[in-house]
Amino acid sequence: MSEAQQHTPRWGMVVDLNRCVGCQTCTIACKHTNDTPPGVQWRKVLDVEQGTFPDVQREFLVTGCQHCAEPPCVPVCPTGATKQRFDGLVTMDYDTCIGCAYCAVACPYQARTIVHDQEWFYGEETVQEKAVEHEERIGVAQKCTFCVERVDEGLEAGYVPGLDLDYTPACSASCIASAIHFGDFNNPQSNVSQLLAENAAFQMHEQLGTDPQIKYLYETPAVPGREHGQEEEEEEELADPSNPLTGELQTFWDIRAAMNFILGGMGSGLACMALLLHLQGYLPEPALLNMYIGAAAFMAVGLFFVFLKIGRKLRFLYVLLRPQSSWMTRETYFVALFYPALLADWIWPRPWLHVLVGAAALGFLICQARILYEGKGIPAWRAPLVPWLLFFTGLLEGAALLLLADFVLGNPMTASLTNLTAVMAVLAIITGALWIAYRVTARRNGIPPLARKVIDRISPVVTVVGHALPVAAFIAVAGQQAESGMATVVAVAAALAVLAVGVGWKYVLIVRAAWQQGFEMPWLPRRGSGRRAAPYRAGFAGASKG
Amino acid sequence: MAVAKKKIRDRKMVPVYCNQCVAGPDLMRVEVEDGVATRIESNYGIKDAHPGGGRVCVKAYGLIQKTYNPNRIKQPMRRTNPKKGQNEDPGFEPISWDEALDLVAGKLREARAKGVDDENGYPRLAFSAGGGGTSVQYMGTWPAFLGAWGRVDQGIGSGQGLKCYHSEHLYGELWHRAFIVAPDTPYCNYLINFGHNVDASGGVCGIWRHADARVRGMKRVHVEPHLSVSGALSAEWVPVKPKTDPAFLFAMIHRILIERDWRDLCDVAFIRDRTSSPYLVAPNGFYLRDFETHKPLVWDAAANRARPFDEDIGEAALEGEFTTSGVELGADEDRWEHTDVKVKPAFQALLDHMQPYDPDWASGECEVPAETIRRIADEYMDHACVGETMEIEGVTLPYRPVAIMLGKGVNNGWGGYQCCWARTLLAVLVGALEVPGGLLGTMVKLNRPANDRHLSAIPDRDGLMEYPFNDTSKEKWQDHPGIRNAYRMLVPLVADSPWSPALGPAHLPWLFQKKTPEHLPRTTLPDVWICYRTNPAISSLDTPTIREDLAQFPFTVAFAYTLDETNYMADVLLPDATDLEGLQLMRVGTTKTVEQYWQHAGWTVRQPVGEPVVDCKDMTEIATELARRVGILEEYNTAINKGAAGCSLAKNDYDYSLDVNRTHDREEIWDAVAKAASHGLTGGEEVHGIDWFKENGYLLRPYPQIQWYLHPTMLERGLRYELPYQERILRHGVQLARRLHETGIAWWDKQLEEYEAMPGYESFPDIWVNYATEVGCDPKDFPFWALTSRSMQYSWGSNAGIPMINEVARNVAGHKGVIMNRTRARELGINEGDPVIIESATGHTEGKAVLREGIRPDTLLMIGQFDHWITPYAKDLKLPSLNSLSSIALSLTDSTGSSADLARVNIRKAEEAVKS
Repeated sequence: MSEAQQHTPRWGMVVDLNRCVGCQTCTIACKHTNDTPPGVQWRKVLDVEQGTFPDVQREFLVTGCQHCAEPPCVPVCPTGATKQRFDGLVTMDYDTCIGCAYCAVACPYQARTIVHDQEWFYGEETVQEKAVEHEERIGVAQKCTFCVERVDEGLEAGYVPGLDLDYTPACSASCIASAIHFGDFNNPQSNVSQLLAENAAFQMHEQLGTDPQIKYLYETPAVPGREHGQEEEEEEELADPSNPLTGELQTFWDIRAAMNFILGGMGSGLACMALLLHLQGYLPEPALLNMYIGAAAFMAVGLFFVFLKIGRKLRFLYVLLRPQSSWMTRETYFVALFYPALLADWIWPRPWLHVLVGAAALGFLICQARILYEGKGIPAWRAPLVPWLLFFTGLLEGAALLLLADFVLGNPMTASLTNLTAVMAVLAIITGALWIAYRVTARRNGIPPLARKVIDRISPVVTVVGHALPVAAFIAVAGQQAESGMATVVAVAAALAVLAVGVGWKYVLIVRAAWQQGFEMPWLPRRGSGRRAAPYRAGFAGASKG
Repeated sequence: MAVAKKKIRDRKMVPVYCNQCVAGPDLMRVEVEDGVATRIESNYGIKDAHPGGGRVCVKAYGLIQKTYNPNRIKQPMRRTNPKKGQNEDPGFEPISWDEALDLVAGKLREARAKGVDDENGYPRLAFSAGGGGTSVQYMGTWPAFLGAWGRVDQGIGSGQGLKCYHSEHLYGELWHRAFIVAPDTPYCNYLINFGHNVDASGGVCGIWRHADARVRGMKRVHVEPHLSVSGALSAEWVPVKPKTDPAFLFAMIHRILIERDWRDLCDVAFIRDRTSSPYLVAPNGFYLRDFETHKPLVWDAAANRARPFDEDIGEAALEGEFTTSGVELGADEDRWEHTDVKVKPAFQALLDHMQPYDPDWASGECEVPAETIRRIADEYMDHACVGETMEIEGVTLPYRPVAIMLGKGVNNGWGGYQCCWARTLLAVLVGALEVPGGLLGTMVKLNRPANDRHLSAIPDRDGLMEYPFNDTSKEKWQDHPGIRNAYRMLVPLVADSPWSPALGPAHLPWLFQKKTPEHLPRTTLPDVWICYRTNPAISSLDTPTIREDLAQFPFTVAFAYTLDETNYMADVLLPDATDLEGLQLMRVGTTKTVEQYWQHAGWTVRQPVGEPVVDCKDMTEIATELARRVGILEEYNTAINKGAAGCSLAKNDYDYSLDVNRTHDREEIWDAVAKAASHGLTGGEEVHGIDWFKENGYLLRPYPQIQWYLHPTMLERGLRYELPYQERILRHGVQLARRLHETGIAWWDKQLEEYEAMPGYESFPDIWVNYATEVGCDPKDFPFWALTSRSMQYSWGSNAGIPMINEVARNVAGHKGVIMNRTRARELGINEGDPVIIESATGHTEGKAVLREGIRPDTLLMIGQFDHWITPYAKDLKLPSLNSLSSIALSLTDSTGSSADLARVNIRKAEEAVKS
């Protein structure tokens, strides 16, 4: 055992931006060592350009899983397939993962991939590709492991990963510019600790609190780095989808995932509002149960869509394995509570069961709001107002559904139309205010220009149709003769508008505005010395300066 | 190291080398599981000896997919359709190896029976190989077959002279035994790089050394019209106008010699003692010589008289004008006896010559501010450390940490002489030639012996390095082209080594095939053309024309990996064993290729790693079998014994020669080579057969670092560098002009003008701009420069058909289309990803627009060579290629037989983009 292994190691990398030539040798060495299929790159080097002709700087940025000390992918995982080891390595258990992609949207470094179908490089299977095929990785999340097998094998045999290249992550070992260094940050004598002690470094997206374990060097002894330009400059750069720093639009959660938020939000909101009105005496018990059944149907359809989306459907029950940290697991627990409770309530109606069903729905709605918010890889989702927005929208949609149900089912409720529209209007005002606040603070909260563009485009409709219209409807209804036909039409139209807009903006938020967190270089290298006589360095083999 | 969960019965790591590019070889290990090669890793065992940390680059990792490519030619094939052309299906049908070899041997015997040369004096057998000579590292004993055959035309080019560092190869060898010129990167502090994409094409060693130098603090200034990978990694980018680099370089010299005080700045002792600068130049441009000894005279300022250069000169004058007497020996028998004639030292001639080229003038030419040129020249001088020394292995040498690199577009074609001369001269001015930190050579290919450039540096009668010019004297000038590119006839500087045919004007055979110029015997087609690891139909200039020319060849044998644009015109396809399938021993270490400066010398191996994937044959087996069937087995074995497989099998202290009268199998041949190689390397201390190399991968012995530098040899042999004045070039130029004119040839006259004692500047861009007129177009219709640039993923190795290479290459800008300036593109209504059509006066290509800021508004950049229309996978990439746009023309060919890799073009949005 070397000194390095006498304490708990913290494995990490130091990438020297002054050395990297962007050649992709690390990328392809990783593909070899880890047998990744076509298009999957656990390690990737970006070719970045900044400035305008002729004042241009071009840099190469090594990206991949940062093995964060506070990895956002780990707590969200509903199964425990993604774990953090004692030594800091964030690992994947392909046999447990269900392929829900929550980790992928939670990662602010675009480090994760899911491959749903086996593909071959030449479009047909070759004997070699068959030999290195990994069926266990189909339909589940995959990412860089810092070549954990090599590291472990080396440690077991008494080698030092990072120094003994056969036991060093392939990207680092293969690097032809000696730009990627791997080692133990907890050992002050290690190669990486020494590099950090001697050079300035940055971590990417430090402000997100992930404490990533890839640290980038940007200075040379001869030349300091330069701080990356103004906010405006960055704003313009990130508005260009062809810029490699710009995050890509996520495709992990598609319309099927959105359906859960759309229908689940409506259903759980309906159940919550139904219980609320029931407790206030506006909704008789039979109507409450009908509403609950309606809510259950909405939620079930939403959940079914999610089921369709996960990569490994037969493992869906593994989703229950991580209640201690995953809001997705918790959501499932509330589902597991909601349906049996509703069944019991339907067979044997009791006030406490009414409350239990409603509370489960409330829990479900809260979980949904938190699920999206924990998707830290998507700036448009992780903004602080997002959970509140989802929560109150759920309630608003619940109110709208109640109003519609009251109309369709022939007024089983004892609440007046005015009251119902009033409830809807109040919720619309709260939701509307949240929406406006969300939009106004979007840039401040790091939502990138491409996402803001999408949000801004739908915003007038959301505000006018989804939020102002219900308020206007309440004013109109309140001013009308009670229960007049016209008032009903206005109220129903407003409720339909609320639902339509809810569907619309959730779809947009989850599918269209879900640009992933891009990459960032807060400090840029400046190559070489502008001063006279770069310092001579002794130590090159066989030579000494006379 | 595998992470697969599958049960594997047998796993091994097989050592081999990768030499796909000109910057190799590098060593790797192939992981083999149950007979299937699965993965590649660098051979870390050699990391302490290898100057690139023991790594291989991205290309090496493509070799697994190269081996298992389902599109491979799986057995020998014979053409059934006698018609050839892009639109003619060859109708290849499978045949056995026996049939294939019989067919080829039959054709060869038939040709040989008629005589090695045809009725017009051209060899009946022609052989072309690609990859800048790298194919030698894969062709086993094939060179022995060629040697056994006799005269073979190896000068039908597939990009040689156009896509290499051609002028540098020739002038580099002439001036300092530098087929390739490199900075002494580990010690260099200030490097000006004119368009050399060293961080993409400098190989692992180059990249490793430059990365070390960067973090050490070396400043690199990158002068190129676009911001290449190497530009990105430089401290400063100077977007120079294409083909005007000589103006920049001349202005730097002017700055140092005229605007500043060179006596104070330069390494005057070096200029005086180590170069021909003090030699007196007589009125007709040749040196003034001693009446009796004919030795060049210098002016001894102490004695106030002219004396032969090798006498004990008190103080050799570099400047001034003197009156003295002597004889001037001109071209041929020209001889002028001068009495009291006015002469000046070559250096004074230089001062006069550089007078007009001030930075303000250059600024107008190259569109770089004059102050920038002045500053860079000053920085160069500031960093030169004139007067300082350092110690290498106990020897004190001058320490001059400044250098200048030249890229291929800069040093090829017109203007190449100017660039090479100016950059070498800039080294000379500060004494930075062949000393630590300065400008070095790596190896020789034209001079001999091939394996030691020091041994080739022998003084001639003038105290300069002897050089094997092709003779231009009346008696010995070769008035017949010899081979189809006429290198010995037209290019004295290209010499006559085994490499010379490929370095001759290797593109001219294509031109001459269409129309042989006056007074040359009509260019005939070879009876048999064999091509190996080359695809001129996509890799040369003017590929549409070459495609047509290829279709005319009567019998083409193609060593074939997949179907490609060249072998589509072939009559026989022979699937040879590819990189991981063949057996070969080769040299590593010493100083070679781009930036391989080792402290070791040795041998390494390439061997079959897994079970055969297709019915291919090793090149050594093919060569042996063809030699036998053609009836030249004895000559073939003799050639191997003499060293055609890499080293002589017998020397004074050992003899591992093969019996010349029988066939030897592959293992037997390489076993003998391995024993001779290891014996030679270790002085008999370790003698290993091929099995030992297969197991251990390589054998090394120390190689002194002092050998990196020619300087000690120069001192030891009292040699001077022939700079700045080129008396020999001048003489050969005049003689060549006379010979050609005596023959009636006038079509090489423009090239003859380039034989100047000191090159002058002309507006080089205009040569390409005005080419449009030559083909009946208006130059104004082609307002852009189209350039290309090397890519680490795709340069050499024929990797365009390998998906994994493409996948990772696409992470690097320019691998998805044509790079153009964003602002300029928007003015033309072109957006990112738009399909565009690019047209030159002679061709067109299509691709997608990639908008970047790091490129001049008047420049387009197409990386790599992607003219494929039949190569599987590659043909679907739909990438643009400069080779469709550029032209082969005499007017674009310089005196060394080189032409630059660029064209004048226009660009517009393709119809489909306009519609959408």
